[in-house]
Amino acid sequence: MTTLAFQPWGNYALALEASAESFGVRCWTSTCSTPEILRLGVEASPEFSCLPFKGSTGHFIKAAQEGAEYGVIVNSVGTCRLRYYRTVQQKILRDRGLDLKIFGLGYDGFKPPLIRHFDPDLGPFIKSVVRAVRKLGAIELVETLGARTRSRERHTGDTTRVMDDCLRELRSARTVPEIRAVKETIPSRFAAVPLETGRTPLRVGLLGEATLLRDRFLNHNIEEILGSLGVEAVNFFVLGVELRKIFLLGLSRAQARKKLFRLAHPYLRSVVGGHALESVAYTAQCAAEGYDGVVHVCPAGCMPEISIRPILRRISRDRDLPLLEFSFDEHTSHVGVVTRLEAFVDILDDRRRKRAR
Amino acid sequence: MKKPAEGAFPEGMAVGLPRTLYYFTYPGLWEEFFRGLGLMPVPAEPATQQKVERAGLLSESEHCLPMKMFDAHVAELVDRVGTIFVPRVLSTLKGHISCPKLGALPDSARALPGLQDKVLCAEINEDKTPLPLMLESLGMRLGRNRTRVRNAVSRAMEAMDREHFRLSAPSATEGRRMLLLAHPYNLYDPFFSGPVVRKLQALRVSVAMVPFERKALPPDPIKWDACSQMHHALRRLEARSVGGVIQISSFNCGCDSIVGEFHREVLREKKIPFLTLILDEHSSPAGLETRLEAFVDSCGW
Repeated sequence: MTTLAFQPWGNYALALEASAESFGVRCWTSTCSTPEILRLGVEASPEFSCLPFKGSTGHFIKAAQEGAEYGVIVNSVGTCRLRYYRTVQQKILRDRGLDLKIFGLGYDGFKPPLIRHFDPDLGPFIKSVVRAVRKLGAIELVETLGARTRSRERHTGDTTRVMDDCLRELRSARTVPEIRAVKETIPSRFAAVPLETGRTPLRVGLLGEATLLRDRFLNHNIEEILGSLGVEAVNFFVLGVELRKIFLLGLSRAQARKKLFRLAHPYLRSVVGGHALESVAYTAQCAAEGYDGVVHVCPAGCMPEISIRPILRRISRDRDLPLLEFSFDEHTSHVGVVTRLEAFVDILDDRRRKRAR
Repeated sequence: MKKPAEGAFPEGMAVGLPRTLYYFTYPGLWEEFFRGLGLMPVPAEPATQQKVERAGLLSESEHCLPMKMFDAHVAELVDRVGTIFVPRVLSTLKGHISCPKLGALPDSARALPGLQDKVLCAEINEDKTPLPLMLESLGMRLGRNRTRVRNAVSRAMEAMDREHFRLSAPSATEGRRMLLLAHPYNLYDPFFSGPVVRKLQALRVSVAMVPFERKALPPDPIKWDACSQMHHALRRLEARSVGGVIQISSFNCGCDSIVGEFHREVLREKKIPFLTLILDEHSSPAGLETRLEAFVDSCGW
């Protein structure tokens, strides 16, 4: 059976997997990178390319070694390096004698090359897209409840266990009724986790570059670390929202963009590229909604995200919103990440105590 | 864009020009243009070792060198001038886009201390608006009458063409030759490209600089304007016309990190040796000289 490798994109990989079935192919993907994937990627990639590039390159090399014939990666028309991922990765694979053809996904008109190649029947295709959308909704529910519950749990690790269980069941759910059945049990499962009482957790916005926000290995599991420190980490990269931004037509799409511009307005008046506008807009939103702090996450040297850092600092100063900046590359030390997060949370705790007085 | 208040830009007002990025992409243009509008262009002092070190201290640590230099130039200018010109460069070539970092430049400049109300911004997007038109509307926004603006624009464009002609003047075609490849802000800034040129001349190698002509390019996979111009120059290069190609890049340059792969592929096919020198605020002249000597020796003329 033909194997199709998907770029890893956090737990959303499960939803992508569901949509691939309609092409009559086996899906090769994972919810996060691994040390081996990163090592392969770092060896093969240009020295100064960004971490998501190295991660996805490693992913495709590993997939090719395990027999995948095709790969899929988002197709960007933007200003940043993402636009060239596919071309350069294809060169890298060819140079290494690996036979894997990468398709670009999105922004290609009504019939992207991927669909043209596999040419699935319309009925099953629509069905599987519906399945994928359903799964996506369930995954988003798991993520949101997970972040909420983890910051309040009494025994560290309970929430992660529940999340893993839910995701495992979602992965094996094949039909829409099955997915719905699993989804219905999710809220009660999280409600069953014993909670610490009498404490409101700190609330921190997690924003920045998409891959880093969703790949648990590349971001050193920042969400779980924050959760176990008693912080509710709100991840601002939600695939559902992104897809709506891409597929919405006309008015509503323009409105979504307008809203971002309005949020970012005094600080940034351009799209820049990547998720830079979103980062600025959501930071301003966090300030307006009374978040306790913001953690900005991006790959080292990320072109759009680094260029707006001075702006984020300005917002942080103007609106009295603590900001922690992380940039990740293959040399980032896990202990360093944990220490910085602990120190940040200590400061936030201290601020809250002083305010209460 | 909002129209500034009447008399916000009086005759003789000093307009600061950071000596990096767009200053070198459009050589000679800005001084002539602002002078034509009765303003006083004040370019920042040229780069020096002290300035480079200062840039490293006061700027965002992960910026590339020109972005850091921008902050250092701005810090020097902020107290000396009434306004600092920081355009939003989205594209400098039809069908192409600029580095995303430049799209946020006026906003990140405004976020710097003391600059909130001192930034004069204009959008350069040559994919949509040709440069003369953009200059014209900027001149009108500054409250000058149309005839005067038109004169200033045509003189400024002429000045830039002269400057481009001077910069891309062909060097000796005889003997040993190297092609120098870099973004305009590294190539035309004597502080950054000077040591390489001088060392090569001392090794009796003549230097050709990659030309940045302002004309449309055939479509290619590279969308970044300057990178595409460099790539096309390499594609046009005849195999035996130069001994090697030396690229001067800045540390953390996102464009070069990816496009370097395309350059390398073209040059490998033509069997032209390729050296990449990466600049940052810690670069040492000794390391540079050794690498250049080794490269020139290894080219096997």
